[in-house]
Order: sequence, then C-alpha cells, then structure tokens
Amino acid sequence: MRAVENALGITIPDNARIIRNLISGIQYVQDHVIHFYHLHALDWVDVVSALKADPGKTAALSQSLSDWPNATPGYFKAIQAKVKALVESGQLGIFANGYWGHPAYKLPPEANLMAVAHYLEALDWQKEVIRMQALLGAKNPHPQTFLVGGMSIPVDPNSQNALNAGSIALLQDLAKKARAFVEKVYIPDLLAVASFYKEWAAIGGGVGNYLSYGEFQNDNKSNTTNCWLPAGFIRNRNLAKVEPVDHLKVTEDAARAWYKYSDGDDKAKHPWVGETVPNYTGPKPPYEFLETDKKYSWVKGIRYDGLSTEVGPLSRMLIAYAAGHKRIKEVVDSVLKKLGVGPEALFSTLGRTAARGIETLVTAEMLPVWIDDLAGRMKAGDLRIHNGEKWDPASWPKEAKGYGFH
Amino acid sequence: MPKIVIDPITRIEGHLRIEAQVEGGKVADAWSAGTMWRGIEIIVKNRDPREVWAFLSRI
Repeated sequence: MRAVENALGITIPDNARIIRNLISGIQYVQDHVIHFYHLHALDWVDVVSALKADPGKTAALSQSLSDWPNATPGYFKAIQAKVKALVESGQLGIFANGYWGHPAYKLPPEANLMAVAHYLEALDWQKEVIRMQALLGAKNPHPQTFLVGGMSIPVDPNSQNALNAGSIALLQDLAKKARAFVEKVYIPDLLAVASFYKEWAAIGGGVGNYLSYGEFQNDNKSNTTNCWLPAGFIRNRNLAKVEPVDHLKVTEDAARAWYKYSDGDDKAKHPWVGETVPNYTGPKPPYEFLETDKKYSWVKGIRYDGLSTEVGPLSRMLIAYAAGHKRIKEVVDSVLKKLGVGPEALFSTLGRTAARGIETLVTAEMLPVWIDDLAGRMKAGDLRIHNGEKWDPASWPKEAKGYGFH
Repeated sequence: MPKIVIDPITRIEGHLRIEAQVEGGKVADAWSAGTMWRGIEIIVKNRDPREVWAFLSRI
C-alpha cells in the first residue's frame, strides 16, 4: 500500500492516517500480549509446578505487584483446581507440550500459578480488545479496510453506516480495557518473571545491528520520517549514534537460498531489481539434515548495508531510546532500574522480552490519544477518508517506482 | 559433534527450522531455514497495483 502510494505520489487524509495508526497499534498491543503469555511464557513458567502453590501466598504475591482485582485466594484456588483436573485427566490439552519439571524453570510455585491464571485471563482479554480491530479493519488478522489513497471505512459521527460517535465511545472503552491489563497484569508479570531469570540478560544478544523503519506517522507525507516510533539504524550496539535509514541499503541475496539469480546467486540486489526464481537444490525429503554448507532455506539473505540486522520490538525500542524518545526512555530506564541492570542488558533475550512489553505499554498509552484525535477531527466536520485523485489508472505514469515500510 | 534439529520452531507464525551444532553441551553454530516456498512476488506480478496490498499483508 505504502509502496504504491509512494510510487504514485499519493498523500492520504488525516483520518486515514490515524485509523491506520490505530489498526497497527491495536495489533501491537494484542499480539505482544499473546506472544508473551501464549507463545513465550511457557519457556519460563512451569504449569505443573503451579499445583504445588499456596493460593493464599499467590494472592499476596499478586496483590504486592498491582491492584488487579482477580487476586484473591479463592480465585487462585479455582485456577489451581482447573489445572489439577487437566493434569489428572492425563490430557493436558493446550499445555500438553511442555518441559514440566525441567531444572531450567526458576519460578516458585506461587509465581507459576499467578502466571498460569494470567495466561488464561489473557485469552479472554484478547477476545474483547480485538473488537477494536473488527471495528476499524473488519477482521483480524489481515484487516480488509485499506485502500490505496486512504481507507475504505467511512467516518461520520451522525451516520449509522459509518464509524460514528457510538463506535468512538466503544473504541475508547476497549482501549481502556487493553491498557488496564497491560499496566496491571502484563508489565508486573514481566518484571516478576524477569527477576528470576536475570542470567538471560547475558544470553541471546543476537547480531548487534538494529533497524527500525519508523511507524505511526505523525503527518501524511508518504514515507515520512516524522513518526511516533522513530526510524533509524544502530550499528554494532552503538547507542551513541542512530543513523538515518536509507532504503537503498536494503538488499537480498540468494547465496544460501533456493533461488537462481541471472547474474550469480551471491549478488546482493535491492528489491527494485530483485529476482524470485525458485531453484530447489536441497536434499530429497525425508531427510535428516539440510546441506548447510550449500543452500538451505527458502528465505533470501536480507541485509542492511551488507549486515545481518535485527528488526522488531527490541530494535524499535533501542532506536527510540537512543534517539531520546521521552516516554520510551522513561519506561526503559524504569524497567532497567527495577531489574537492577544497566542498558547493556537490553542486548539479550531478557532485553528483547522486556522491549516487547515496553512497546506494548507505550502503544497502549497512545491508543486513547489517537482515538481522541480522530474523534476531534470528525466532530469538526473533517470526514475525508480517501484521496481518490490517482485512483484511475489513466492518471498513472507508464512506469513508476516506490517503496514503503511497515 | 552432534547436530540437533528443531523443526518446527513454535514461537513464530510461519515455518522455520533450526539446525544447531552442539559442542560440549553448548551450541557452537546454528542455521535457520525457512521451510516454505511462498512466491508472493510471483503471485502479485501483473496484478492491479491497487489490490496488491491484500496479498502482501500475508507476509
């Protein structure tokens, strides 16, 4: 979408920009919570150990971390009974595939029980907050309301058939729920779990180069650098220098991937001159090992300025931190202080996990701000949602190049 | 030296395989492999640029 708009020189209206920001923002918040509890937590949380927990002590632990209301001995006892019934049935269902009892698990039974309770709560929470995505994007994942030039969802405070005053009120209510869980459950859990796994602040550093294209545009200019999360590149963990992003430094090579390039597979190519001709040369399945000294993947080698580079929440938070983003600096410093570690701890598995939580928190804080911005414009009579000037193919040049990031 | 395989990697959405060389109980080297051919670039070729986003958002 952004690449096409860039190629055709299309500027989208404010309302479309804000709705795009909201759709991406809700996605960050919901998906990061899901990643933490449902994809990642069971590497740290021993579900079976939760059976040994004292529900009273678990309640005391939970109450010491936040004022989240589901924190009574009776609540945790009921969760424990649920897990016990699963374990005794011999059919662990969603918890079937764990390393329960492994010595690498460090949490006391009470912390395990609390985390299991929140694992289950997060499932209910996401069912609610993802309604924001349905309101703005029609479905999740893969929202359907995008349109080259803007969005296809009409805005009008007084219309039944548009995003109206009622939908704004519902969005605000859901954003409040989203933020409350992040502030009172996710972040306290993250800090509590992290405090038992501090050795992971020295493991999993990765390649040490970090790239962010920037996200959540503050103005409507195509590929603007004026974003709430700044664009930048950090080379070799040097937080003292954030380099500007140059899309021409992005390349793909096929030296280790099953593709054939017309002028040699090890030629690094910018996507504008990219080639995608599949050429499988790996072993015939079923096989035990891939030929890792030759080609071994369907993913091309993506490089920035010739370097392997990390993207994602850690990169975005590091670049914002290094660039002096006020709120992110504040939250990152407070998390580091609470864990009693320095900024070098960010270059790790623990840092990456913390960065995901920090990004969730600061994004959840912005959702109501963006909703208010949209509501204010609608109220003032700005109902523009799509710029159709270049919709007609007859208005296009014969050839055009563009790029766009997300 | 033993080589271990983790396939699929379950912390992501998509298809990923890791092969790791283990020496003295520690990983000495590792390779990640995308195990699925998608060909999105080929799918969108010759399509109307106004509808391409709907395919690319599947990446």
